Amino acid sequence: MASRRSSRQESDESAGFSPTLFIVLLVISTVLTIFDRPADRSDAFGSFRAGFTDIVAPILELAAQPIRGVKGIGPYFRNQGDLARENAEMREELIAARGWVELAERQRDQIEIYEAALNVETPEQRPLIRAWTVADSSGPFVHARLIGSGRNVGIANGYPVVNDYGLVGRIFETGRRSARILLLTDINSRIPVMADRSNARAIMVGDNSDYPRLDYVGRIPDIVEGDRIVTSGDDGVLPRGLPIGEAVPTRDGGWRIQLFSSQAPVDFVYVWPFDRIVGPEADVAKVPDMPVENSAAEPESDPVSDSVSDSGLVADVGAETAGDASGDVPLEARPIGSGENARTDGETTTVPEDGE
Amino acid sequence: MRKAKDANAIYWDLGLCVFTVLVALIVQAAPTRLLDGVNIMPTWPLIAIFLWAGLRPSFMPPIVVFAIGLTQDLLTGAPMGVWAMSYLIALAAFRFRGEDGMPRDLPPVLLRFLFMLLLAHTVAYLVGSWALGQMADLMPLIVEATATILMFPLLAFLALRRRRSGRSGFIGG
Repeated sequence: MASRRSSRQESDESAGFSPTLFIVLLVISTVLTIFDRPADRSDAFGSFRAGFTDIVAPILELAAQPIRGVKGIGPYFRNQGDLARENAEMREELIAARGWVELAERQRDQIEIYEAALNVETPEQRPLIRAWTVADSSGPFVHARLIGSGRNVGIANGYPVVNDYGLVGRIFETGRRSARILLLTDINSRIPVMADRSNARAIMVGDNSDYPRLDYVGRIPDIVEGDRIVTSGDDGVLPRGLPIGEAVPTRDGGWRIQLFSSQAPVDFVYVWPFDRIVGPEADVAKVPDMPVENSAAEPESDPVSDSVSDSGLVADVGAETAGDASGDVPLEARPIGSGENARTDGETTTVPEDGE
Repeated sequence: MRKAKDANAIYWDLGLCVFTVLVALIVQAAPTRLLDGVNIMPTWPLIAIFLWAGLRPSFMPPIVVFAIGLTQDLLTGAPMGVWAMSYLIALAAFRFRGEDGMPRDLPPVLLRFLFMLLLAHTVAYLVGSWALGQMADLMPLIVEATATILMFPLLAFLALRRRRSGRSGFIGG
C-alpha cells in the first residue's frame, strides 16, 4: 500500500503536479477569497483589481473590435421592409421630440429664474463621457461591465451610467484607463427610485434576474402597472429623474421593473459626471460667520451620504433619507427621453425604515 | 536529430498552450452579449486546462492553474480566489495521472471532463456564494456548464486526433 502511494506521488511529481504546492495555492486562494469579499473589500484589493483591469483593458478592447464588427453587419441582412418601417417610426419620434425640446428649453429658462431667486449656484454640467464596453461578466457572482475609460477622462466611483434608453448602473471600481459598472440587475445594487406619476418612493434591489424588484414600497403603494420608474435622487449620489423602467406586478403581490436599458445591448454607454447640487440651506450652514438658528441641531454629516459607501452602493437604504438632497437635473443635461412627466415640485418624501 | 525535433515540438506545443489559454480567458470576458442579447459562453479556461493537462501534464502545474483561475476572477469581477480554487480542486481530483496524460479514446475523456466540470462549478458556486454573503445566481452556471458540455466533444476530438498523429504515440510525439 505504502509503495503504491509512493509510486503515485512520484508519478505526480514527474508530471509537474506537486501536492505541496497545490495545498499552498489552495490556502492562498482561500485567503484571497476571504479578504476580497465585495462587502468588505479593502482599498488595497480594489486598487489591485483596478490596476489589473488597466493593464488588460487595451487587450480586451482589441478583442471586442471583431464582435462590434459582426454586430454592425447585422442590419445589412435585415429585411428592407423592416428598415423602412423603422425609418418611418423614427421620423414620427423625431417630430414628437421637437415638442419636447421646446418644453425642455422653456423649463430650463424657468429653472434659471428659480435658481437666481433662490441664489443657488448650480454646478456647471460637464459633458457626458462616452465609453465602449470591453468586457462583459454576466456570471453567477457579479453582473458588471468593464469599460475602456477611467480616471484619465474624469470617471469616478458612483457616477451613473446610461445608454440610449435609460439607466444601466453606476461606476464602482475605477482605474486609470478602465472602470467597472455595477449593473442594476446585480445582487449588490440598491437604487432609490420613485414612480414618475405618483412620486411613490421605493428601493430598487437587484437580484441577478433581468427584472429588479421594488422593496420598501409600503403596504398600499401608489404604483400601477406600467408606471414609469425613475431615480428619486434621495441618496444624493444619483440625479433625480433618470429613467429606469416600467413597473410590472408579480404574482405574489410585489413589484418588479422591466428595465428600459435592456432594449439594447449595453455595448456603448454614457458616464454622467454628476456632482451633487448643494441646496441654499447647506450653503448658509457652511458660512462660519453667518448666524444660523438651531445650528447646533444640524447633523455633522449627511445620513444619506454616510449610507453610501465608497463603491457607490447604498449601504442602508431603509434608513432615513434626505428627500431631494440632490435637487433636480437641468433638462439639457439629459441625453435620453427622461423627465417628460417628472415633477419638479421639490416635494420631500422619506422612505421609512419599516417600508410604510 | 530525433531529439532536436522533439525539442521543437515541445516549444511549439508550449506556444500553442499559452496562446489557447490567453484566447480562452479573453473570450470568456468578451462582451458577447452584443450579439442580439444572447450570452451563452462555455467555460473556455477549464476546457483549456483539462486538455493541456491531458496532452502535456508538465504544462499545467498547480501554479499555472491558479494563475488562470485568478486571471478569470479579475477579468470577470468575481471575488479573487473563487475560480482559482475551483480549478485547482477540480484538476487535482480528476486529472489524468502520470506523464502519459489522457488516453486515446474519447468516451473516458468525456466522462472525466464531465465530472471535473461539475466539481469545478459546484466549488465555484459554493465559494462564490459564501463570498457574496448570499446564494449566487445558479442559472448562468447551468447555462455555462451546458454550453461547455456541448462544445467540449469537438475540441476533445481534435486534441485526441492531434495526439494520435504523434510519431511515437506517446505524449509529446
